[in-house]
Amino acid sequence: MSAMYQDALLSHYRAPHHRREIVASTAATTRRNPVCGDEIRVMVVIADGRIADVAFTGRGCSIATASASMMTDAARGETIADALLMTEQVERMLTGDETPGALPDTLAPLRGVAPFAGRHGCALMPWMALRDCLRS
Amino acid sequence: MTLYSLAPRADFPLLTSQPSLHYLDSAATSQKPQVVLDALQSFYQTRNANPHRGAYALSAAATDAYHDARATIAGFLGVADSDTLIFTRGTTEAMNLIASSWGSANVTAGDEIVITALEHHANFVPWQQLARRTGATLRIVELTALQTLDLDQLRDLVNGRTKLVAVTHVSNAVGSITPLAEVVRLVRARSSAIIVVDGAQAAPHLAVNFEALGIDFYAFSGHKLLGPMGIGGLVGRRALLESMPPYHFGGDMIEWVHDFDSTWNVLPHKFEAGTPNAADAVALAAAVRYLQALGMDHVRAHEVRLLELAELRVRALPGVTVYGPSPAERSGVLSFSLADVHPHDLATILDQHGVCIRAGHHCAQPLMRRLGVSATARASFYVYSDESDVDALCGALEAAQTLFATVD
Repeated sequence: MSAMYQDALLSHYRAPHHRREIVASTAATTRRNPVCGDEIRVMVVIADGRIADVAFTGRGCSIATASASMMTDAARGETIADALLMTEQVERMLTGDETPGALPDTLAPLRGVAPFAGRHGCALMPWMALRDCLRS
Repeated sequence: MTLYSLAPRADFPLLTSQPSLHYLDSAATSQKPQVVLDALQSFYQTRNANPHRGAYALSAAATDAYHDARATIAGFLGVADSDTLIFTRGTTEAMNLIASSWGSANVTAGDEIVITALEHHANFVPWQQLARRTGATLRIVELTALQTLDLDQLRDLVNGRTKLVAVTHVSNAVGSITPLAEVVRLVRARSSAIIVVDGAQAAPHLAVNFEALGIDFYAFSGHKLLGPMGIGGLVGRRALLESMPPYHFGGDMIEWVHDFDSTWNVLPHKFEAGTPNAADAVALAAAVRYLQALGMDHVRAHEVRLLELAELRVRALPGVTVYGPSPAERSGVLSFSLADVHPHDLATILDQHGVCIRAGHHCAQPLMRRLGVSATARASFYVYSDESDVDALCGALEAAQTLFATVD
């Protein structure tokens, strides 16, 4: 159990990073989880091809909220292409197929979600919202 | 005093083979007793042929088994005329059958359809879409502050333009029991609307008598009352069913097929196109006999005791919110939330303790919006549930609270 609900993950849930509105965002998208009714909105500001700011709002379980919090840390300052690659690597991490070294250590707490297939959608929700933003 | 299960757990192979499992998701689907699994296997081993088709003894045996199953299940629901029980895949298909067949023949622009905020999507979306298709107006009865149906508002909403009133017998999300007699009285006094009742959560738990309810349609699902998945039914008044156009077309439902027109078979066949699900119907009849042997009054009494115990103990935990009216006005369901622990997290943590509960919107998003939550945790009980399940639930809830309290 503690494999998933580590302190590192729960502290993101308790005090999420960059949980706020960005009024002048370059792009913003909302993802909903039809299983549980959770909703995460991700907003980004792109400047010179890089993510200058990224934040989220909405309500979610600990996994969705912590994942969103970690995402706003990890994607900040990345180029659009690198952030999309990171999103793909997070998906592959959950299915046990990530490229070693491709993801920053700050995302390590998400690995605990991998054995819980029923919760992959929770972890991915903010990342899919980010991807939608970056592709729009 | 220890509260034992009503039905012997030894009758349920899944529970026997996983003794440490605490299955508290019977409102989603029930576990199956051995007699139901035996009935299913026995049909395929001894009577398997296509009913209503072959002029040979085996096909006749299959036809008889299917016919007898219908009579048994009709009897269980207080239906004297068993040909007015149409087998469907379950409640969802039954509702779609009425919306598609009766709805398209009887509802037009300017008509009104009344549903309630308590409904499962299966008794909500078909009517919402029927209204959109036909230009009829959809009216939604809201909840009182006590989270029961607002009967005063129902009285106000039903009028001469109301064509159909659809209401659940028991809410799947919070377990509240609808005072159907009062609903019927209000609707009949103000309109000639037909009354459709979703019995998916009621038929497994309460003694149902279709004739006594005074309604027009009653839908149910077999898998929630110890039967197999994929079989359920729709009970309707004969005159209504006979006046309705067929729902699906194909084999068995026709009387005669001409090149450019066809005529329809009698009830129940008119609404059962294609090879029927005879094996599951036979197994469902075995489930019904099992429940009849337990006695539906005992089933209800057992659940009330469990629900009261569970509610008392869950409410004793800090930060608990319980949804719905008091246990005496509910059936089988304890819907709740814990402060600071999302229901989805709760379900995962409980699962690690061998406790299976449902977390989510319970296919009742309109209700969740009105409760002001995106999801709740739901523990639901049945004949095989006992005090050890309540103990395990409460122990796991405490563990979840401890886990989420350790950070900061």
